[in-house]
Amino acid sequence: MSADIAGKNGVGREAILENETPPPGGNSLKKTIAVLIPAILAQAIGNVFLSMRMKEVGDSSLLALLPRAIESPSLWVGTALLIVSFILFAAALSWADLSFVMPAISSEVVVNVVFAKYFLSEDISLTRWAGILLISIGVLLVMRSARQKENQENQKISGSQNL
Amino acid sequence: MKTAILIAMIVLADSAGDVFLTMGMKQVGEISTLNPRALLTICQKTICNKCFLSGIFFITIFFFSFLVVLSWADLSLVFPAKSLVYVVSTLGAKWILKETVSLQRWGGIFLVCLGVALISLP
Repeated sequence: MSADIAGKNGVGREAILENETPPPGGNSLKKTIAVLIPAILAQAIGNVFLSMRMKEVGDSSLLALLPRAIESPSLWVGTALLIVSFILFAAALSWADLSFVMPAISSEVVVNVVFAKYFLSEDISLTRWAGILLISIGVLLVMRSARQKENQENQKISGSQNL
Repeated sequence: MKTAILIAMIVLADSAGDVFLTMGMKQVGEISTLNPRALLTICQKTICNKCFLSGIFFITIFFFSFLVVLSWADLSLVFPAKSLVYVVSTLGAKWILKETVSLQRWGGIFLVCLGVALISLP
C-alpha cells in the first residue's frame, strides 16, 4: 500500500514511507490471520444461509430442487458469502504457507457447528463436541508452529542485517 | 469399490486443486495493497494464471465427484474420508511447494483431520 501512496505524493514522501514499511515476513502472520478470520466467518454465515434455504425447500431430488432453490435471495446471499470466503482464502495463499492456511481455515468447521446449534437449532452430539475439541487443539498447534517459524525467519533477517 | 475409487479421486482432486491454487497465487505475488485499481490488476493477473486455473479445474472435478458419490453413499462415510485431504494436501505442500512442515504442524494437521472426521460421524 505504501508504494502506491508514495507514488502519488512525490519522492520525499516515498523515502519516509519506505522506512516505515516493516521488514518482509515481519507481520505476515498477523496479516494472514486478519484475512482468514473474515474468510471463516463469511463461509460459516454463508453455510447457514444455504442450509436455511435448502431446509425450506425440503427433501427432494437435486434436479427438482434446483429451480425452486434458485428463486430464493438467501441462497444468493449464501453463495456470494462463499465466493468472498474463497477470494480471501486465495489472497492469503499469495503469501502464506498452504500447510498453514488449510488447517487454520478448518476452524470454520467449529464455527459452522456452533452456528448450526444457535441459528438452526440442530442438536450437537457428544462425538461432535469431541471433534470440535480436537480441531481446536489442532489449529492451536498449527498456529504455534507458524509463530515459531516466523520468529526463526525474523531472527535470520535481523541476523543478516547485523553482519 | 466404486465408492472407494471416487473418494480417492475426491481427495486427490481437492489436494491437487489446493496445491495448484497456491502455486498460482505465489506466482501472482504477495497481495499487499488495498488500492482498488491495483487489486483489479491483481485479479486480472490471477484469472489469467495457468496454475490458478488448473487449481479451479481440479476443485471443480472435486466438487462434482463429491456430488456424484453422495448420490449413493452416505455423507457420514464420505465426509470423514474426505478429511484425508488435510494430510494429502500437506504432503503436496511439502514435496511440491517445498514448504517446511515442522513436527508440531504435522501434529496439528493430524488432530484437525481426526476432528473433522469425528464431527461428520452420525
